[in-house]
Amino acid sequence: MSTNGATIYLKAEQNVEVQSKEVCVKDIGRLTCSDPHALAKAKSLRLWQFQEDACKRQVISILRVIEEIEKACPGVSVENLGETDVLVEWIDVDRHKGFLQWCKLSFVALISFFGTAFTIMAFHNDIGINDVFSKIYEMIMGMPGDGYGILELSYSVGLAVGIIVFFNHIGGRRITKDPTPIEVEMRIYEEDVNKALIATADREGESIDVS
Amino acid sequence: MFLRQFLLAVIGGSAGLIVSAGVFTVLISVGLIPRFAGKMHVACKVFVLEEMVIFGTLTGCFFSVFSEWGMVGNYVRTHKIFGNATEGVWNFAGMLIQLIFGLFAGIFVGCLALAIAEMLNTIPIFARRIGFRHGLGIAILAVALGKLVGSLIYFTQRVFMYGG
Repeated sequence: MSTNGATIYLKAEQNVEVQSKEVCVKDIGRLTCSDPHALAKAKSLRLWQFQEDACKRQVISILRVIEEIEKACPGVSVENLGETDVLVEWIDVDRHKGFLQWCKLSFVALISFFGTAFTIMAFHNDIGINDVFSKIYEMIMGMPGDGYGILELSYSVGLAVGIIVFFNHIGGRRITKDPTPIEVEMRIYEEDVNKALIATADREGESIDVS
Repeated sequence: MFLRQFLLAVIGGSAGLIVSAGVFTVLISVGLIPRFAGKMHVACKVFVLEEMVIFGTLTGCFFSVFSEWGMVGNYVRTHKIFGNATEGVWNFAGMLIQLIFGLFAGIFVGCLALAIAEMLNTIPIFARRIGFRHGLGIAILAVALGKLVGSLIYFTQRVFMYGG
């Protein structure tokens, strides 16, 4: 086979989820090559086989991938443009569907709802918001207030507007195209978790690497 | 008179805007909601969670700012919403609401407390200083139990009457 001189460019992802037990090179990232034969051969190379009862998470070093590709297609050179370690997770069912998923979502949603309701109430209680408001009312109007007025109402409206601007959406519709702060935080958190898992696997020698 | 009312409205609106920004910056920077979503693998539905955060805050704001208008139990009892069975039905429903509110608010506050501790790096720094490699799980369990016991003592011994 005349694979000499061709270069396989590989762009590995940091975290991939696979549905089948076998992990191939094409699962961990994208590849391109001027030689279609070498490309097809490299893509279908098997890297790891998940066991039924073993850990469902595996860190694969890109050095091992390069070694495997070079062994299978002699003469090609491999260039990695992506991550240097790939975290592969095996999920046997599609976890983004189903009743359990719905239960988890409502559980987290209830925590978010009652938790934030409690925190804002505790905060208002802490600062004694009704005292503050009646004092402001008296200062401005020159007489003690009777019940709830424009100050309380505008405060609540202001709170709502502030949150909506802060979270950047109303009822599932974004105000601007930017990601919301929780989405940004979500990506940062995912990246941190991936890095920690990869570092732990490296330190404990559990990642698949060249010896 | 109109100008004064207008001033009140401006003060109230600005206070609300800044308070929401402040409260939510804390909430975002401790990264609690992403953690929930990450643990439960519901990251694709993060919009729903944000909606719940928004509505939760607004509900809490209503019940604490307009506390006299939020007397739902009193309203139900005086207007006999469920007819003659009102007492029994509302006693049960009230217990249920208390249970749900207490449980979920407790989970949230527990997570918030540890998330803040973690954000300030107290746990990692502590673990490194005393050179402890194993048993972090036991330490966390001890923290949780300590919080449980502390909370029970606080409510049963009426610490809130003397403290603060």
